[in-house]
Amino acid sequence: MAARLAGGGWRRALLLRRPCCLAGGRRCSSSSAALGKTVATSEVAPEEIVLPRKKTWDKLAVLQTLASTVRRDPTAAHYMFQDDPFLMPRNTASSRLFALSKESGRNAARYIIQHFPQYFDKTFAEPNVPCLMPETRTPQIEGVSEEALKEHICLRRVKESVDLFDQLVQAGTPVSLETTNSLLDLLCFYGDGESTLGKEEEEKEDSEEAEGNASEQKAPKRQLQRGSQPAGTRWRENNSAERIFKIMPERNAHSYCTMIRGMVKHGAPAKAYDMYMDLLNERHKADVHTFNALIAAVPRLKDRFLERWELAKVFLNHMVQQGVQPNLLTFNALLKTLRRCGGVGRSMSLLVIKEMEALDIEPSLATYDHLLAVFYRGGQLPSSGIICEVLDDVEHRSFAAQDPDDANFFTNAMQVCCELKDIKLAYRLNKAMEKGDNWRFLDMDRLNTYWSKFFSLLCMMEQIDVVLQWYKEMSPSLFYPSAKNILDLLQALDAANHLDMLPSVWEDMKQLGFSRRPELLDELLSLMSRDQHPQEIQLAFATCAEDIRAAHEPAGRDQAPLQWTGSSLGHVALLFSRAGRTQDAWSMMERFQQINRIPSEQVMDEFLTCAKQSNSPDEAVKLVKLAASLGLPSSHRLKSRTKKEFELSEEQREALESITDGDSSDSDQE
Amino acid sequence: MWSRVGGWRGAAGAPGRLAAGLLAGAASGRGAARLEGTAHRVQKLSSTSSALAAEKDEPAAPKPGTGKVASEGKEDKAETPKQKLLDLIGDMKVEMSYSKKLQQLKTRETKKQGTDGGDGEGAVPQRAAEGLQRGKPLNPELVEAASAVASSLPLDKKQTESELLAQLRRHEEITDKQRRGTAVDLRKVLAEMAVKRRSPAQRGVSISNRISLDLDEDPQSKPGRLVPQSLVSGRSLKVGRRLNIFTKASAAAQKALETVSPPTIWDLEFAKEIAAVTAQPPRNGFEEMIQWTKEGILWEFPVDNEAGMEEDAEFHEHIFLEKHLEGFPQQGPIRHFMELVICGLSKNPFLTVKQKIEHIEWFHNYFEEKKEFLQGS
Repeated sequence: MAARLAGGGWRRALLLRRPCCLAGGRRCSSSSAALGKTVATSEVAPEEIVLPRKKTWDKLAVLQTLASTVRRDPTAAHYMFQDDPFLMPRNTASSRLFALSKESGRNAARYIIQHFPQYFDKTFAEPNVPCLMPETRTPQIEGVSEEALKEHICLRRVKESVDLFDQLVQAGTPVSLETTNSLLDLLCFYGDGESTLGKEEEEKEDSEEAEGNASEQKAPKRQLQRGSQPAGTRWRENNSAERIFKIMPERNAHSYCTMIRGMVKHGAPAKAYDMYMDLLNERHKADVHTFNALIAAVPRLKDRFLERWELAKVFLNHMVQQGVQPNLLTFNALLKTLRRCGGVGRSMSLLVIKEMEALDIEPSLATYDHLLAVFYRGGQLPSSGIICEVLDDVEHRSFAAQDPDDANFFTNAMQVCCELKDIKLAYRLNKAMEKGDNWRFLDMDRLNTYWSKFFSLLCMMEQIDVVLQWYKEMSPSLFYPSAKNILDLLQALDAANHLDMLPSVWEDMKQLGFSRRPELLDELLSLMSRDQHPQEIQLAFATCAEDIRAAHEPAGRDQAPLQWTGSSLGHVALLFSRAGRTQDAWSMMERFQQINRIPSEQVMDEFLTCAKQSNSPDEAVKLVKLAASLGLPSSHRLKSRTKKEFELSEEQREALESITDGDSSDSDQE
Repeated sequence: MWSRVGGWRGAAGAPGRLAAGLLAGAASGRGAARLEGTAHRVQKLSSTSSALAAEKDEPAAPKPGTGKVASEGKEDKAETPKQKLLDLIGDMKVEMSYSKKLQQLKTRETKKQGTDGGDGEGAVPQRAAEGLQRGKPLNPELVEAASAVASSLPLDKKQTESELLAQLRRHEEITDKQRRGTAVDLRKVLAEMAVKRRSPAQRGVSISNRISLDLDEDPQSKPGRLVPQSLVSGRSLKVGRRLNIFTKASAAAQKALETVSPPTIWDLEFAKEIAAVTAQPPRNGFEEMIQWTKEGILWEFPVDNEAGMEEDAEFHEHIFLEKHLEGFPQQGPIRHFMELVICGLSKNPFLTVKQKIEHIEWFHNYFEEKKEFLQGS
């Protein structure tokens, strides 16, 4: 990088230039015919050399073109995991973990750079790469002055700014309204970390700063932050923001507005409402953001649906009175409020949509999301009319993010499709999702939810080969199926009579880490053992059964073995005996006695058949013994079958007789 | 639902007759009783649009389309007289060209009714009787006869006209009543509640009422016939009223609103939040390179030798420096010297264009200062 400014290119250019120089400013004649022509024409006005304008390239054009040629590899995990094959995720949990680790590694590096800038003082790169260098985050202006306060606010040092402000006030220096307002902005945005929270506040702030710098931001981190946000910062009585607001010599609309927004953001809606009343009393006008915040706070202000709607309407009417033009976020906030207004929401939301249309405000995905939630949340589902119309609109647009709630649309819409059990709608929705940059709205968690819902719906409604095609297409590269998805897939395979696919599904289950889920194992085993299949398939099934048996054995590792149930034991024994693996089957049969379970009659019969096929009368005798010791009613029948079907040696015959006798004598004794 | 209406309509062309009977005070029978409840309302509605409807109803009434009649009945209930008016006007447009013909057709009609009025229902006042006569079956005849009458009755225009208007007004009342009749029949249970639904403010009398009404209410706001799906679902995005709280600001006013104020921390953070919504990790190596390019870590493509060059200067300005030698003598040792200077400068990648020009200018000034010495020598 140090040698970026290569001299080579320059020199080459100069060599090209040389003939011109030697010609002393006159045009040099060229040997080529094409150039000769231009010389001839330019002889009329020979002075000016017209140099072609430099062609400016978009610095990303080449890369974008190249990137557009790369398609998703359905067999590979996401690109971000491809650094290290060992860290290739196999299921949702591990993919989440790895993504988080990668991102937190980045954050750690950033933290080090920001906190120990003294070790990063060498600029190797020429030209410099600013984003790799530490930022100056220490205030440059010393002393107590308004300038210093401004700088502190700019650097978002919450607590120090408040201290500085107090010092200024105590010294009797007037602080301008503008500066005080920006201090209020800072305090209200961060919910005014109290002194104990000061440090924490700063750290969080740091990480947020860092995020802003990185153009890429990972989904999981976002989720975590969102989760952590409301914990630390609640609006407190008489916090610094309120205190400063009270001692302000004069306040303008902005002071009130930022207070209201802060109160709404940090969970003090009632206070925000009072503050709004104060603002009205002072004859100020609120701005559109404040109204948006107030409308969003309505569900927390009123309890009854109707009151909520009335209050929201009061705010809207105030907007008109104060000459505030609503924006998209106003209507999104209104619809979000209507989500929590029950039936009122259903009748009013359409009016709101029409109002938006009349004002030429184009809905964003959040608008549609709220609309769907209004209509499709709750017990009884109306028909698919609304979602059809929503899709009509969405299909024709490629959306850009305008509202933080935009991200929820696709997942929720897919949920609605699932609830309506409408596969056609789901296909349409998927088309819309793939259009343009719409896919960007699905971060990693939402992507998983979206696809697993879609997949469940496919399993329920589609032909099995279509389902399998989708499964192949999306399984490792787009999402990792959940346990429910696998269950759905098993049921779909069952319904389509495609049970020969089960071994490959079992392979996937092992990959996904579902090999120890009892409900899945039960389903799989019962499907495999239900019917008799051709020998090949039976052998494959037996291999699966072996794996499943292994999961129930003590493996010697830290994992505790699964508990056998009577049915699973029976299924495994059945699978072994059908595959002709008499020894394995017998070891299973012995388990019944160990865990005090009763094998079903079918298991007994099948085992006997198996023993007969492998011509092992010993096993048959053992079976009868087992049946007798368990006191099964079928033991007599088994005994007679054994007698009839096997060529027993004399000892075996004796043993057989003695079993029964012993058994009957046992029972007699009892 | 519609079939029931159809039955009503079809049954002996009865509603008109019944309505007339009601007006005349001879109210009896089921249908009439039904109508009674909303009689006052009918009056009101009909009076609002009497003049317009007078023109329009002439051909509209004979149309046997029950669906349309029923949906109009709905409109009435939906309290959107405006909508209704629009519909009426819409219908009128088509018939404008016929208006002359219609006038004449009506004159003929009046005459006919005048003769009819005498016989039959003696107790019934003549007005109502006239209304009665205006059933559906009359119309084809009337249309057929219209042209003939047109030629025969051009005189006494004024009287004919006033007669016509009076007649039409009556007629309009009746047709309106017919509509009301069907509508009431459809939703006699809901009638009371629907009437209450006058203003959005009053809407919230009872949530439970509303919820139970939801399915019926909304399609009324616009004729359901346009979007059959909305009839099924009860709702649609395409049709319906708006909130009517805001008015659209003019472009100029909007510009005025967008006065530039320095972004607050709220704005900055909101922008970040929005950017985070669509932020995605790169999906392939090229996308990662795009990201690095944006961060300034990577060479910019296409790779050339201009990285780190000044923004405003172009390549040729670095190389071709002869144009800056104009102030120097055309020949002689100074010229020769300067040519060597610019040759050197043009090979120097470490100076900016400005610095190069300054360099040349320095020599210019220098030689200017030394001019007398040079010339002296």
